[in-house]
Amino acid sequence: MIPFRLQVAGVVVLLALLLWVLWLVRTGRVSLRESLSWVLSTVAAIVFTIHPELLAALAHALQIEVASNALFALAILYVLWNLMTLTIATSVNARKIRRLTQECAMLRAELEEQRAARSQSQPSPTGESS
Amino acid sequence: MRVLVIVPAYNEERNLPGVLRALHEHAPFADVCVVDDGSSDATAEVAASHGATVLQAPINLGIGGAMQTGYLWAQRRGYDAAVQIDGDGQHDPRFIPAALAPLRDGVADVVIGSRFLGEDAGGFRSTAARRAGIRYLCWLLRLTNGVRVTDPTSGFRATGRAAIALYAKSYPSDYPEPEAIAVAQRSGLRVVEVPVRMAAREHGESSIGTLGALYYFVKVSLSILLLPGAP
Repeated sequence: MIPFRLQVAGVVVLLALLLWVLWLVRTGRVSLRESLSWVLSTVAAIVFTIHPELLAALAHALQIEVASNALFALAILYVLWNLMTLTIATSVNARKIRRLTQECAMLRAELEEQRAARSQSQPSPTGESS
Repeated sequence: MRVLVIVPAYNEERNLPGVLRALHEHAPFADVCVVDDGSSDATAEVAASHGATVLQAPINLGIGGAMQTGYLWAQRRGYDAAVQIDGDGQHDPRFIPAALAPLRDGVADVVIGSRFLGEDAGGFRSTAARRAGIRYLCWLLRLTNGVRVTDPTSGFRATGRAAIALYAKSYPSDYPEPEAIAVAQRSGLRVVEVPVRMAAREHGESSIGTLGALYYFVKVSLSILLLPGAP
């Protein structure tokens, strides 16, 4: 069993993290979509901290001898899950940026073409006083 | 047949004039578009002064993203065929009509210019280590996709409308040449090869060094093995 004060400290830290994430979403610095994995996994961590017997049951089910090792395993899973979510988001972003860059390159060529066509059909306004 | 020649170029201001002059001489029927992949030198200006359309990417996309820009342009402008030629002077535009012939005859969708085909192949055929890598890629492509090619890393290619549409939608990134063959094959396109001669680079260094070879090996193998089936 987790000592009571340690339990309180754990919940406080996790709540602070959760509030921080929610505040980041509220102020528009993190999108809800990207933060969802943090919110869900942090809520799960809080549940395990308040009900450590869940952890003991899990450790027993997986035949982990020391409950704290189950905690470490969970903590690593928590980090890996969030890391993987970030990796996916990065890949999606890279694909979108590539597509946007290609669109930019093509629009620029179109624009140059239009400009060239225009300067051919109309005499350039340089030298004329208007 | 309206033909677009796509020349991907990254800091190729020295090699580009020769390539564009040769294109003008040997493929005057084709429009030329240079994809300037975020160069820091005068690649774009040099290309424009030789009358090529310049697709200037504001950031470096890598060869895959740059090639795809050319295919998107070919698709948008309704070209019947696209030819990709490296901007470093390795590929001789003399072979463009030969590469277009199977497309014109309707017997292929993707044509690869191979330096290992033909009687008097000669010319530049790379180092022994690279040829071993090329043989491995041939074997891998035949095993996973049943496609028989002799020069899977060749960047000299001609593509018809179906392949232009496919590559505009999905073109592999990083080291795209072998994977692009697999992508075409899995989408039911016909891949054939024609003999070409290649030259060593005139200026500058190849993009793949010794350490990069290992990364290339792993990356290309995985990308071919993990490729999903036909869409």
